[in-house]
Amino acid sequence: MAVLTVDNLHLSYGDNPILKGVSMELAPGEVVSLLGPSGSGKTTLLRAVAGLEQPHKGTIRIGERVVFDGGKGIELPAEKRDLGLVFQSYALWPHRTVHDNVAYGLKLRNVKKAEAGERIRKVLDQLGLGHLGDRFPHQLSGGQQQRVAIARALVYNPPVILLDEPLSNLDAKLREEARAFLRELIVRLGLSALVVTHDQAEAMAMSDRILLLNNGRIEQQGTPQQMYGAPQTLFTAEFMGSNNRLPGQVAEAREGRARLQGEGWSLWGLLRGEAAAGREAQGVIRLEQVRVADSGEGNRLRMPLSTSMFLGDRWEHVFRKDSLALRAYTHEPLGQGEYWLDLPTERLWIF
Amino acid sequence: MRAAASETFPRALTILVTATAVLAPLSLILYQSLLTAPFFDARKTVGVGAYAFIFADPDFWQASKNSFLIAGGMTLIAVPLGALVAFVMERTDLAGKRWIEPLLLVPSFVSPMVLSFGYVVAAGPVGFYTVWAREIFGGAPWGIYSILGMTVIAGLTHVPNVYVYASAALKNLGSDVEEAARVSGAAPFHVALTVSLPLIMPSLLFSAVLVFFLGFELFGLPLVLGDPEGILVLSTYLYKLTNKLGVPSYHLMAAVAICIVAVTFPLVLLQRQLLKSARKYASIKGKAGRMRELPLGSWKWLAMGLIGSWIFVSVVVPLSGIALRSFVTNWGEGVALREVLTLEHFQSIADEPTMMRGIFNTVLIGVVGGLITVACYTAIGFATHRRNDGWSRFVDYLVLVPRAVPGLLVGLAFLWVFLFFPPLTPLRSTLFSVWIAYSVVWLAYGMRLISSALMQVSPELEEAGRSVGASRGRVSRDITLPLIRYGLLGSWLLVFMIFEREYSTAVYLLAPGTEVIGAQLVSLWQGGAIDLVAALSLINVILVGVGLGVALRFGVRLRD
Repeated sequence: MAVLTVDNLHLSYGDNPILKGVSMELAPGEVVSLLGPSGSGKTTLLRAVAGLEQPHKGTIRIGERVVFDGGKGIELPAEKRDLGLVFQSYALWPHRTVHDNVAYGLKLRNVKKAEAGERIRKVLDQLGLGHLGDRFPHQLSGGQQQRVAIARALVYNPPVILLDEPLSNLDAKLREEARAFLRELIVRLGLSALVVTHDQAEAMAMSDRILLLNNGRIEQQGTPQQMYGAPQTLFTAEFMGSNNRLPGQVAEAREGRARLQGEGWSLWGLLRGEAAAGREAQGVIRLEQVRVADSGEGNRLRMPLSTSMFLGDRWEHVFRKDSLALRAYTHEPLGQGEYWLDLPTERLWIF
Repeated sequence: MRAAASETFPRALTILVTATAVLAPLSLILYQSLLTAPFFDARKTVGVGAYAFIFADPDFWQASKNSFLIAGGMTLIAVPLGALVAFVMERTDLAGKRWIEPLLLVPSFVSPMVLSFGYVVAAGPVGFYTVWAREIFGGAPWGIYSILGMTVIAGLTHVPNVYVYASAALKNLGSDVEEAARVSGAAPFHVALTVSLPLIMPSLLFSAVLVFFLGFELFGLPLVLGDPEGILVLSTYLYKLTNKLGVPSYHLMAAVAICIVAVTFPLVLLQRQLLKSARKYASIKGKAGRMRELPLGSWKWLAMGLIGSWIFVSVVVPLSGIALRSFVTNWGEGVALREVLTLEHFQSIADEPTMMRGIFNTVLIGVVGGLITVACYTAIGFATHRRNDGWSRFVDYLVLVPRAVPGLLVGLAFLWVFLFFPPLTPLRSTLFSVWIAYSVVWLAYGMRLISSALMQVSPELEEAGRSVGASRGRVSRDITLPLIRYGLLGSWLLVFMIFEREYSTAVYLLAPGTEVIGAQLVSLWQGGAIDLVAALSLINVILVGVGLGVALRFGVRLRD
């Protein structure tokens, strides 16, 4: 039984449709990321689940409870949904101490003082904030503020915790630590979490499943491995990683494979889309799948090296021939000259 | 260093002129208060006799007590009501907010003299609504000629002052902190009480001090409603001193003026501090964002009833009273409205050259005077814009000084300046005297308008001008000024409206040639010419209304 079910949800701002029929489920103990570019509707979907935006069609259920049903005119106000929401800006109340920020939700639920004190102490300890209870929000660092916001959302044990861009307000260095901390915390406490993010690396690192939104619709969903390794659309392929793009035409197609032909080159790849010979197509391959090879055997191209960049743990090279440019990584530097580049058929997607 | 001199000179001149215009009249008041007779009297000596005299006068103490009572009472009424109205207007889905908003601001644009008069003819012992209430319900259980009556009316008509600051604070308050409370399980009104209002507390505190301060300055209301019953406050006590002794008792008036300023000046400084701390508080607020309005549900009727009754009592009653009164020959119990309708009051005004001159002067001082005033304020604004030196801080405080001095006193002080310095005396009977007094009284208000326009210009735009080689003066002229021109036009309109509304500043400057409607109203009211007061009041309201209409049409922000 899913803890959160969204079915065919539609939402507009005036005449401007933001969500155009989104459906999703969140299983107990699962972490799902809502990923997408800005304007794709991911934050709007999260806020609609929280009851802060008003959809006009579809249903939202939390466990067994229907909290929104456009057809039946059911709309539970935000305060009755019993969810935990961590805001992008944290939205800590500046006039309350850390302890009182966290205590507020319990006070509203009439939890007895002794028990509330115990639960607040426990959640603050879990988040490593035990010693900061008497501080005010502006006396805390960004990372500490974020953890207070999480503690505030967790303290009343909501069935689902919603996180809106949880890492975007942190410094780049801190972000990776916070990412690991969050993932660990969610798994350790067995939380069901819905996370909004625009960063695909963040989404892959943190979640069990990713929902990629594009222009108000779900483009593709799956595990991080599926999303990265087997994209079904060009949009997904482009969004999930760093790619080489090879524009050309489909020369021939058979058994799920196709030969992509360009100006003075031709390569085999996995066909994703129509098999019609002669149509314009895009070849896409991840940067790390392109290898520098010794000879011309197989699915290979010979191209001159244009420039190299040192990235610390490896080198990135740009090869250029006519209108075609390919990038690839190696561990060792390369000298001037022409090289054979290997593009494995299983890794080259033709859209 | 010639370039430097050409930049420094206009600035120095601006600051010098401003300082003179502000400090000369006020020092004259202080000087006069320390004399034992009017300054033109040959027998004057330096001493504190004037203070000794007023401190020995029981009326002075009674008037002080009344001032504190009314100011305190109206604060208690205006602040909670203003905060509540602001929350309903900013955060809920109340219908018709676009129409309610300008109505909420009306009392702050209508002359207090006109409003008070409106209450007399609408809700006084034989006012329209009083008579109607007696006919329909058999009784009208209100008495406006009392301290309580004045306090309630002053409290209600000052709700806009609180509303403006509270709603601005709510606008700036990030909606995410409120959403966080709702997600945590708090219902809308619980959110208002536990999150929104505590977070705008600094702004509420600021507006409480402001309303108390305005209560201390009240003049038109106690003159119209308190005087008939012999209830004096400090400003009317001062106004009545001349009559009381039968001779010009400038030294006593100056002493009372200094006593008033001794209370108001600390309040102005306190306001400044509070505003600063309010801003500090705002800087740790959450992120502002689009927010869904709180559905009021069945609370809708309560909210509409609250705002509707406030609008009825504070806007409809006084204004309809004036409008009706200006079209009837007389009014009282048993009079049928249809039989007393007339246009003769307006005819009398048209036949009376001083009245027509008053109307003409009022328009002139609003339109042309207002334009020159905005130009002066802009010059002062540029003298301090993006300069953080001692002179800027000096000007900052300088413009605050007149804020602490009620308009009645500034008018009096300028009268003295014109009498005290013989070379200036010819100006006394020209409209210039009224214009300079108005400009000084509204200096702080006008500078807020100008500096908020200046602050909209991003510093990079000016820095870019400097870096391509423009001098500070060139940048002001070629970059900043064109960028703020719409802000300045809006300021002109707002200054027009407050100059139409102003009355107390011109009271002592009223002379043949300097008539303006506001001062004429005070003088006519003293003479008991009710019919003319009604007609002139309506004309005044219409002048302000035209300004308000233009402002709404062109989307000028009605508040700073």
